[in-house]
Amino acid sequence: MTALLRLDHVSKRFGGLRATNDVSLEVRSGETLFIVGPNGAGKTTLFNLISGFLAPDAGVIEFSGRALAARPHIAARLGIGRTFQIVKPLRNLTVLENVMLGAFLHTRRSSEAAARAREVLAFLQMEAVADLPASGLPLATLKRLEIARALATRPKLILLDEVVAGLPTSEALALAALLQRLPEWGVAAVAGVEHVMQVVMKIAHRVIVLDRGALIAEGKPADVVRRPEVIEAYLGAKYKDVIG
Amino acid sequence: MTRHRALIAAGVVAACLMVPLVIHKDYQLSILFRIFLFAGLGLAWNLVGGYAGQLSLGHAAFFGIGAYGLSAFHDRLHLPVGLALVLGVLTAVGAAVLIGRVAFRLRGPYFALATIAFAEVLRLSAKNLQSITGGDVGIEVPGLFGGDPGRWFYWASVGFAALAFAITALITRARFGYSLLAIREDEDTALACGIDTTRTKLYALVISAALTALGGALWASLYLYIVPDQVLAIDISNEIAIVAMLGGAGTLLGPIVGAVLLETASELFKNVFKEAHLVIYGVLIVIVVLFMPEGIVGTVTERWRHRPKHGTKPGTKHETKP
Repeated sequence: MTALLRLDHVSKRFGGLRATNDVSLEVRSGETLFIVGPNGAGKTTLFNLISGFLAPDAGVIEFSGRALAARPHIAARLGIGRTFQIVKPLRNLTVLENVMLGAFLHTRRSSEAAARAREVLAFLQMEAVADLPASGLPLATLKRLEIARALATRPKLILLDEVVAGLPTSEALALAALLQRLPEWGVAAVAGVEHVMQVVMKIAHRVIVLDRGALIAEGKPADVVRRPEVIEAYLGAKYKDVIG
Repeated sequence: MTRHRALIAAGVVAACLMVPLVIHKDYQLSILFRIFLFAGLGLAWNLVGGYAGQLSLGHAAFFGIGAYGLSAFHDRLHLPVGLALVLGVLTAVGAAVLIGRVAFRLRGPYFALATIAFAEVLRLSAKNLQSITGGDVGIEVPGLFGGDPGRWFYWASVGFAALAFAITALITRARFGYSLLAIREDEDTALACGIDTTRTKLYALVISAALTALGGALWASLYLYIVPDQVLAIDISNEIAIVAMLGGAGTLLGPIVGAVLLETASELFKNVFKEAHLVIYGVLIVIVVLFMPEGIVGTVTERWRHRPKHGTKPGTKHETKP
């Protein structure tokens, strides 16, 4: 498996806070990687660095063998699609138009963009709301809308920032099943940030654990959750011997 | 716009062009001139202030550059009128690139303040650069039309408004128009869709500035004589913005509705209120922003979409979107 995305000793500080602390990792073609960690571990910061919304203080981020500059629209054009944890729909536009904006990355024509958007909406089972304004939709739908818009840009790598968090279990699992089908849409690799371990365990090929900005564990989902350092990060030191 | 909507628009323009066959008085035509001129100016402003959501309160800068470009290139450099007009518009484009590069780094109220400052700097410069602008004494503006100027100016204002309308209609249906809306709604989402937001805003401002300069030149040429406190005044910036916001920022018809209402009202009440129109503009801005942020056209279409009866088909016909 080749590395689609490579982070080499990447760091980012906000004042005295090390949001990302010397992180090196790879996302390989064909894999679904999940990044987990307690609140404030720096997961979203990591996504903001990869998608060009933040510039690293140190280190290099390479995508398809090219060093990335911190220019989010360039990252999108190179094939990095992303969703936002705090959903950012274009509220006065319809769902279809929201997704068309993603599709416009590859066509000038409104009709082609609309056709592409409808295909993506059909895949995500959102045809029924296609012509509704994005304002006033429930959170679960808006989360799907984030995925739809990102998918319409035809990403090679898609970054999913807590897209199943907050959903009822049945819906979360249904959405997880759809996420496993993303390769059908030309997505070479999926990288997710997620708290819902049920989903992570089900669809991740590999898991990375972040704690206070640093990478503390990496491996297959079933192995990673048993490691004492991971249990310590989540539950505190006194639990690591109890469960481990 | 579908083909039949384009035909309707062409029919309306044709009807407007025939008005001078009925109305002969220069005074009445001059009021209509003002309505169409400000409809065009409001449409031009709307590209930046409405669709892209970047509140400019300094469009007098481009208006004044168009006016001074026409007069200075003609009067000082003795260039032909047509060339002077074009050079004035191009100067406004240059100014738009300059101000866009600086002001688009700022968001929200800071952007609005920067545009006001830019227009004020130009006004004060114009007052002091007497060799170019004539300072407070003013400068003569060449007449664009001979013969029966009242009619020609009227026709030119209709043409100007039609041009601004056509450009807006084309933009709102194109990818560029969607990009502007995306920037207004959420700049981060626009970036994540691969939109170069800085460049897109700059393009919108350039088109807006070119049209505004054209309108400024037209206005100046009707009055034949201009001073900085007139064409570069904050009043002009406000009037342009209010026309669009009152009618409906980010709607195609809004600036036209706004121009008809505001210009008719200011004509009717000008003897009553005299200089108080500044207060009225201020109050209008507050009312529109607080109670009708989508303007008249925006509010009406919103109500229409949410009307009871008829299985609702929301989202299909609202004007805020292309």
